[in-house]
Amino acid sequence: MRNNLLSVENFTLRRGAVAVLDDVSLHLPAGQTLALIGESGAGKSTLAFAAMGLLRQPGIGMQGRLMVGDTDVVSAPEKDIRALRGQRMGLIFQDASSALNPCFTVLAHLSEPLRRHRKLGRAACRERAVALLESVGIADPAGRLNAYPHELSGGMQQRVMIAIALACEPELLIADEPTSALDVTIQAQIMTLILDRVRALGASAVFVLHDLALATQVADRAAVMYAGQIVEEGPAAEVLNHPQHPYTRGLRASAIEFGATRLEPIAGVVPPLSAMPGGCRFAPRCPLATSKCTEQRPPRVERGASTLACWHV
Amino acid sequence: MASAVQPRAFFSTGTGFGRVLGGLAQTGLVLWVVSVVSFGFLKLSPGDPVTVMLGSDFSWDSYDKLYHDLGLDLPLPLQYWHWLSRFVQGDWGTSYVSQQDIFEQAVLQALPVTLTLAGLSLLIALVVGIPLGVLAAVRRNSWADLAASAVAIGGNAFPSFYLGVVLIWIFGVTLGWFPTMGFVAPWEDLGQGLWHLALPALTLGAWYVGLIAAVTRSSLLEVLEQPYMDAARARGEPEWRVIWLHGMRNVLMPLVTVIGLQLGGMLRGAVMTEVVFTLPGLGMMITSAVQTREYIVVQAGIMITALLFILVNFLVDQTYSILDPRLRKNGR
Amino acid sequence: MAAELTDAAADSAGRPPNAALRAWRLLSAQRKAMAGGGIVLAFVVMAVFAPWLAPYGPTEQNVMDAMQGPSAAHWAGTDSFGQDILSRVFYGARSALWIGFASVALGMLAGVPLGVLAGLRGGRTEWGIMRLVDGLLAFPELIMAMAFMAVLGLGMGNVVYALALSFVGPFARMVRADVLQVKSRPFVEAARLMGVPERDVILRHVLPNIVSPILIQAGMRVSIAILLGSGLSFLGLGVVPPTPDWGLMIAEGRGFVSMAPWMSGMPGVALAVLLVGLNLLAEGLRDALDPRTRSRH
Repeated sequence: MRNNLLSVENFTLRRGAVAVLDDVSLHLPAGQTLALIGESGAGKSTLAFAAMGLLRQPGIGMQGRLMVGDTDVVSAPEKDIRALRGQRMGLIFQDASSALNPCFTVLAHLSEPLRRHRKLGRAACRERAVALLESVGIADPAGRLNAYPHELSGGMQQRVMIAIALACEPELLIADEPTSALDVTIQAQIMTLILDRVRALGASAVFVLHDLALATQVADRAAVMYAGQIVEEGPAAEVLNHPQHPYTRGLRASAIEFGATRLEPIAGVVPPLSAMPGGCRFAPRCPLATSKCTEQRPPRVERGASTLACWHV
Repeated sequence: MASAVQPRAFFSTGTGFGRVLGGLAQTGLVLWVVSVVSFGFLKLSPGDPVTVMLGSDFSWDSYDKLYHDLGLDLPLPLQYWHWLSRFVQGDWGTSYVSQQDIFEQAVLQALPVTLTLAGLSLLIALVVGIPLGVLAAVRRNSWADLAASAVAIGGNAFPSFYLGVVLIWIFGVTLGWFPTMGFVAPWEDLGQGLWHLALPALTLGAWYVGLIAAVTRSSLLEVLEQPYMDAARARGEPEWRVIWLHGMRNVLMPLVTVIGLQLGGMLRGAVMTEVVFTLPGLGMMITSAVQTREYIVVQAGIMITALLFILVNFLVDQTYSILDPRLRKNGR
Repeated sequence: MAAELTDAAADSAGRPPNAALRAWRLLSAQRKAMAGGGIVLAFVVMAVFAPWLAPYGPTEQNVMDAMQGPSAAHWAGTDSFGQDILSRVFYGARSALWIGFASVALGMLAGVPLGVLAGLRGGRTEWGIMRLVDGLLAFPELIMAMAFMAVLGLGMGNVVYALALSFVGPFARMVRADVLQVKSRPFVEAARLMGVPERDVILRHVLPNIVSPILIQAGMRVSIAILLGSGLSFLGLGVVPPTPDWGLMIAEGRGFVSMAPWMSGMPGVALAVLLVGLNLLAEGLRDALDPRTRSRH
């Protein structure tokens, strides 16, 4: 589909000999939101960072295609990707307190992308900065311009992060667990804020999350990852409410909800990436697994509107 | 915060004005201790100043008179007080070796020489050391990193006086590019001045280069792992700006801390360097004074170096709040 | 029962009860410390066995052979008095190592208790002691040592005393910082909360944990002590000739650098190598025992 904003095709990322991301494919049409779900270490943040082109380093090998718009992040020259960052793509980090440079004021942070991509002068930067802070719900925006990150509360820091990411009105916003570091009471506010702004801009968004329930509320599409592989992808309502892959089912069952009388964890633990079987990586813990699963990569099968990677569905 | 060295909260506790006042009070106390130690030194030193001043031929009457005139029959605290009040006014006595007023000799002649040497050396060390450290941090585990580490270890290990002699041998004697002794004031003759200072400044700077490169490297390594670096890249900033603006800005604080901490080492190196190259600075002054047992001059020398030390530390502490915004409102 | 609890608490703080074994294992993996240790060992051997290793006596003069460059008879050449430089370098290791270790040991004797007192007592005692220490620290070590030499007179013994006195301040400050750091660790708090009396908290939790940082810092001090000792001798304010001392030899050689560069060159190389070895060893030990400063390679 050519009107996809983000299109990942058979993307593999290696750190040394280990495949951190293994033959990952997904797509995100323009104007929609995608939830990337999985446990810690599943590779979701890695995929998010790779999409921003932040992982083009020595020691890291990439194969396949990772298209943002018309640019292939795997092979494009650095200056092309740099032109995308901050302008057509924005990244919201998980922990705003460490993602803001302690030596620079809020205004300095906001001015950076504005000067670089929009070529605004000092006065114009200031105006736009105030407007941005206002749009993310910060009271007394003008007064906050000269504040340093450590002078702001966690929630405010994250709002500033959002403002920075949206400063140049990007087409694609990637939010890496934007509320995990915040108090529960603020989480809902921040998520709503992000969704609001994304919709107002008509942009697409990728939310990296580990909370299934949250995912159902914010995303149009969902992709579930396990140990660097995508096991299920499709419309959020389908994937999260009627999961078909054994892992997604296990995730859903193990989610602790109010009124639950039993806890249903998935048996076993995630093995280290260097000890993964050649086939389906979930096989060692899967109740439906057979020897074929361990040896051969399951094909991508379509069931309804979703795509699964499983031999037994 | 990413820092390889903890900041020295020498004077900074409390908030705002109270902090400055508290800092001054602490400084005052330290200064007092310094003055007591210096005075004690003078009193402990062997030799009888009266006999020295009178020469070999004197009568007991003149001895007693001079003894009384010099105030040596007064109780110690009173002697201390007199000495302190004279010292603060700039009356430091006269050197009988050089027949000069000691204050003039120390502050107006020797001090500028030492400061010039130290300043130039620091400059050299920064200009060479910082890029070296940055290179080592950015290209970790490469040959550049290893080379920088080698320079760091080597520069730190070679004693200044030995390095000075080596440089004299290579550049002064064998190649004949630079003079090996003497001082020409750069403010009188810039060219000659710098030419004469070249080898000494290199000697003293070499020791510092290793240190600065090492601190820069380790601080930058920590900073490089911080999310705000990636955040800057995610905004589209080019790599050089990410490192030099976003990264180095956070390295300044540990760097300044170390420079301040190592001030003692620099003064030590300056003493040796001045002797090796025969520069008429404070180090040379104190050394000759000790050799000739001229205790008054020695005392003046140690007072000046201590005062200098305290002053620079005070200044360094004040810059902390400028460098690290997190220290501004909240004290420590 | 209290013993088991405190051991468990120590575990949770990240230090296994058997710190020595762990340190040894980490050390062997540390090439830095091994290399440094080897160098230092070589010099210790050189110093101890100098009478057997050195081809000539340290003050044996052969005026006929004065100012000769390195040759078969004199591997490192001779100085202006005809003394064999190599032998003097070997014997010089004795004064260097002796000055280094003795002055540090003496300095610790006075400085460590001061620092411990300041760190444990806190409040006014600490403030008072630290201001005193600040005053002492305002004098750069070399300058202070020079002043002491002026009062005490020259000679190796006085060098040791002078250096030891100038180390009191630095040690007091370092030890106090160590104590403060250990005091604030959760397992000390845990011990207190479990009702362990204060005296035991200090003796069994705080003090044992400052031993290794102090030893490491002392190790680093030794190289500074050797540097300062040689420096004093170089300035003519340290050991008296004709005692073989590297600083003295470098000073003697300075005047002859155009004719006989080996006079300064050889002892200087020995000094530099020993200092590098000591620094490597101390850094290696520090990296091995303190997880926070371990390099991330």
